Amino acid sequence: MRPLRLLRSWAHRLLGTRFLALLRKEVEQILRDRQLVKLLLIPPTLQLLVYGFALNPDVRFLPLGVVDQSLGASSRELVAALTENQVFLGAAHPRSDRDLARLVERGSLTAGLVIPPTFRRDLAKGGPAEVQVFIDGVDANTAGIANGYIQQILRRFRPESAATPARPPPVTAAVTFLYNPGLRSSWFFVPGVMGLVLTLIASLVSAVSLVREKDTGTLEQLLMTPASAWEILLAKIAPLFVLLQVDVALALVLGRTVFGLPFRGNLPLFLLLSGLYLFVGIGIGTLLATVCRSQQQVLLTAFFVNLPLVQTSGAIAPIESMPLFFRSLSLLNPLRHYITIVRGMQLKGVGLEALWPHALALLLMAMALMAFSASRFRSQLS
Amino acid sequence: MSSRIRAQCVKELLQFRRDRLTLGLAFLLPLLSLLILGFAIRLETKDIPIVVQDLDRSPLSRSYTDRLFATDQFHPSRWRGDDPVGAIDRGRARAAVIIPPDFSRRLKAGKASTLQVLVDGTDANNARVIRNSIQATTEFFLQDQGLIATTPPVQARTRLWFNPGRKESLYIVPGVYAVVLWIFPSLLAAIAMVREKEKQTILQVYASGIGAGELLLGKGLAYLLVGGAMAGVVMGLGSLIFSVGFAGDPTPLLVGTSFYLASAVCFGLLLGVRSASQNAAVQGVSLIGFLTALLLSGFIYPVSNIPFPLSLVSAIVPARYFILISRDAYVRGIGWPGVGFDVLVVLVSGLVLFAAARRSLGAMQLDEGAGR
Repeated sequence: MRPLRLLRSWAHRLLGTRFLALLRKEVEQILRDRQLVKLLLIPPTLQLLVYGFALNPDVRFLPLGVVDQSLGASSRELVAALTENQVFLGAAHPRSDRDLARLVERGSLTAGLVIPPTFRRDLAKGGPAEVQVFIDGVDANTAGIANGYIQQILRRFRPESAATPARPPPVTAAVTFLYNPGLRSSWFFVPGVMGLVLTLIASLVSAVSLVREKDTGTLEQLLMTPASAWEILLAKIAPLFVLLQVDVALALVLGRTVFGLPFRGNLPLFLLLSGLYLFVGIGIGTLLATVCRSQQQVLLTAFFVNLPLVQTSGAIAPIESMPLFFRSLSLLNPLRHYITIVRGMQLKGVGLEALWPHALALLLMAMALMAFSASRFRSQLS
Repeated sequence: MSSRIRAQCVKELLQFRRDRLTLGLAFLLPLLSLLILGFAIRLETKDIPIVVQDLDRSPLSRSYTDRLFATDQFHPSRWRGDDPVGAIDRGRARAAVIIPPDFSRRLKAGKASTLQVLVDGTDANNARVIRNSIQATTEFFLQDQGLIATTPPVQARTRLWFNPGRKESLYIVPGVYAVVLWIFPSLLAAIAMVREKEKQTILQVYASGIGAGELLLGKGLAYLLVGGAMAGVVMGLGSLIFSVGFAGDPTPLLVGTSFYLASAVCFGLLLGVRSASQNAAVQGVSLIGFLTALLLSGFIYPVSNIPFPLSLVSAIVPARYFILISRDAYVRGIGWPGVGFDVLVVLVSGLVLFAAARRSLGAMQLDEGAGR
């Protein structure tokens, strides 16, 4: 009993007087701040919903124009083969191939198919019968996928009237999609946006709440108290940290209810690693606050940091397809590691055995950022 | 009247020049965004790491593996474990191909054999590409081995229009112009507008007898000029760095860009008038600006993919129309007959935003005048 009481009084002496007082001040300040609550709830919700719904790489119902100069059963079969799997939609039947070309040129059609008058005859002879395909290449990604589909469908096409009936190929590749069998693109984007949202919010909220003391001149008063820089920082960070965990939960719930995103990993571990990432975000914000003099400066400087952070993180475009320079640079990007962790835990259901390098990177970055901003914190006024 | 507008414009430009941070915001940040968005957004993955688990270890299965790695699409993952799913779990491979032990025996006996392919479905776009190219490779392999007919009955002569090499920068860079030239001019205009309110200098402005429309025109003109300089720098350097040149008549782009910048500035002024503080203005502009110009404009994926209620919002996003103008100028090259309508839409959006800003400012003047 005795050592416990000793410990408690010791803890009380350490935390109770100074730290707890500072903490109470921060909590009261936050509770009075209606703006902050709005900031924590509205932008994350909007961002998660719009990113999740609007970013959709599905290649479906591409408008296809057909000029059929052969007008036979086999050419109709070919058009049916192209449109039956919903990648293409028979959208137009222009009169001439010149009209078709113009429609593709304008972008009204993604692809055009010209079946020449000799098609039926060539096919009856056993082929090859040649058709002409135009693809609008402006959108390189869609064009590539559309082209792949056309080639594949044509390779497999066997008209019913053909001399050699369709035979199943001797080797088939049975493809299974792991983690995301329905290939729902939101399952890729929502975990990425979750990381993005936490970065933006954590850095902004902590930077603004710190720099406000500078703006109003109360920072000098705080630094004049016997409290150490660490205590002041910690008292500021602790309530924000709790509030930001609400955003983590919000993102998880939205992902689950709106996008049907599974959660396959270990939830406590996920919350722990998310907490680690929040420290990184808060650290970035603290750093910004020590560099900037006013709230306006913080908000604008945050652009310089957050834009590259978000765009090289793999939240929107996959990291593997970036040029080598950005791929190497992204190893220094904490958001990249966090997004890998979120996707790994939500979709793949893996744990630390697969994600430890990323967790370690986050830990190191969080420690470096916090140590650096704490050391700058006291010296910033001079 | 015009002299008051000019005076307001000159005052705004002087103020702009004195502030180093906004200067950086006007030129450094757009360039940074251009470089990052232009280089880092690539949708198609090349050089995908995959694992091949060859349980057959026959000449036939080895030649299948060789065929798989013959293109620049795949490379062998450095994974040395014997569990292919583990490689995908850890992100060391995007796909695994498992060749069954009886692969060559069954083929030689004339029986069908099935390869098991596991694809990481996390990135749905590339998962689809990986599946298609593994299936295509399998068919090429069968043709090579003479197991299916070498020439399919129908062949396509394909022409990829405008972008035969499928250079993704040709698609992305003209879109980056739309994103950058929307967000930064509107941000600057919003800050300038709300600054007057925050510093209470707006009362002096009211007292000077300048009308709401004149005030907005003066400020708007100043930031239109700044935006024009920004557009020159961003588009000039962008064309040099990413080597994209005009594909046709550049006049629709020229006219479209000035309307678009005016629309962006009016959007900023409107949000500036309506926000209580600079913080709120910056957050509002960046949130709405990024969400609309980046996501609802067709910058990354086609607008036709945006689902129903959001597609309505996307229909009124000016960036969506400007992207068409910009892609036409740099890639398609059709000119006025192709994008004349889009130029008109951008103009109308600017006029609507201006009218809205003027109404809000007028209402506010009355309110504050009555309150005093």
